[in-house]
Amino acid sequence: MKTSIIGLGQTEFSKNSGRSELRLAMEAILAALADAGLEVNDIDGLVRYTWDNTSEAAVVNALGLPSLKYYGETEFGGVNCCGAVAQASAAIEAGLASCVVFYRALNARSGVRLGRGERILTEQNGHWVSNEGEPPGDIYSAPFGLLVPGQHHALYAMAYKERYGLTSDQFTDMLGGVAVTQRTYANNNPRALLQDKTLTLDDYRAGRIITEPLRVYDYCLETDGAMAMVIVSRERARAMNAKAVDVLAAGQYIFPGSVPMYLYAKRAWSLAPEEAGEVLFGKAGLSPKDIDVAQIYDATSMMVPIALEDFGFIGRGEAHDFLTSGGNGPTGALPVNTHGGLLSEGYFHGLNTIAEAVRQLRGESPNQVAAETAFITLRGASSMILGRA
Amino acid sequence: MTVIRPADRYLDQPYWQHLAKGTLHLNCCNDCGGAHHPPSPICPTCRSFNTGWKPASGKATLASYAIARHSVHPSLGDKVPYIITLVDLEEGVRLVSGIPEGMEVDLHVGMALECKVVQFDDRFALPYFVPVGA
Repeated sequence: MKTSIIGLGQTEFSKNSGRSELRLAMEAILAALADAGLEVNDIDGLVRYTWDNTSEAAVVNALGLPSLKYYGETEFGGVNCCGAVAQASAAIEAGLASCVVFYRALNARSGVRLGRGERILTEQNGHWVSNEGEPPGDIYSAPFGLLVPGQHHALYAMAYKERYGLTSDQFTDMLGGVAVTQRTYANNNPRALLQDKTLTLDDYRAGRIITEPLRVYDYCLETDGAMAMVIVSRERARAMNAKAVDVLAAGQYIFPGSVPMYLYAKRAWSLAPEEAGEVLFGKAGLSPKDIDVAQIYDATSMMVPIALEDFGFIGRGEAHDFLTSGGNGPTGALPVNTHGGLLSEGYFHGLNTIAEAVRQLRGESPNQVAAETAFITLRGASSMILGRA
Repeated sequence: MTVIRPADRYLDQPYWQHLAKGTLHLNCCNDCGGAHHPPSPICPTCRSFNTGWKPASGKATLASYAIARHSVHPSLGDKVPYIITLVDLEEGVRLVSGIPEGMEVDLHVGMALECKVVQFDDRFALPYFVPVGA
């Protein structure tokens, strides 16, 4: 890719924003433009998730944009956090647009909660019924009480635990190594919902089981707010002397049974075949050992060990040793989710995952490490490598 | 006993109609013989539209399981804890399943399971998979 991310904007993260998703989207977009040093009328492209409620038309109307030359959605939600950036970049490289804003607004705590089954089921003739054709909560899984993403993650977690023969204590300590390390990062992060709450490994071990084998601290935080980022060509980013971070590679990779919930993917303990990483690293001309910091979409903590192994940062089955020895910590071999992740900063459908990679490469992270390159993924379904400009 | 079910309009589909009559049938290809799930109008192996239904052997292995201890919907409040499973059928397809309410089981990934169709009323039944001989 020959594009750069030159602006980040967001509202505060909260449990109750007190305002509409449209209003939140506007605040985030204006903040991202200000960060980029651009005007509203510079926007000529928009990308978003199909799951976002704020349409491109609503944005054009609300901002009174004189014209929009390109707009497009990527399917689902966080699955495509990097896919949306790839799409924006492709539109720019194809000459369809020159300044694309990727935005996401959701009242995911005060509004429709993604972690609850109420959004899936309706009542019909005295029964609770599903009308969904695809997971989560589809007609083939809802009758067994499988309704929300967090339950799917427990299925991957158990498959992994048993494949590598981890005892319950070993498994607990592995994921505790994710949750506790990320909370410590969040304690330094003024944007984090849980900045003021500490978490020890003992606290983690005592956490309530939600869906076994996952505990309450393994789950992300339903969050209200909005985020936006501005993407332009690398050439334009250089010409305007922006705070640019370069998109070295970005792409999508799905396969039968994978998205949106990986219920029918053959390897329940892995979420991306080796080829996904080979394609991504090949595009960037880099290998996993060249990556300085990783931001891994952690709807649950289990996404971290799986992604580390799927992309070859560590060998298969090595996550327990890596995560219980601080490999993901500030002085570890690969600091991971240095904002606190979706577990402790807030669940922002991957935009905050990308934003932290951008901040690391700008030198603006609350937990700054020496980073020239950053890796981002959501289960391999969409992934990206960013580089310091 | 009530469970969540597909909306009425789905219950007229062959998959659910076969279950309501007491057997698990899989959508299969009449040309290459492969089975697939969820049901689809085209065979994902040979891309033939000549698909049909055949009874499943009912033999499967456990690919994973999870135990829901937190209720995510009011209708599940009196069901927790309950077990959700992923099962790999002998025919090469994956199904989401579970363990019938009240059955005590000791599960481990890779164990052999067999299908047990549980009837809820004359229109609706579910394919559970239980340890062989349980």
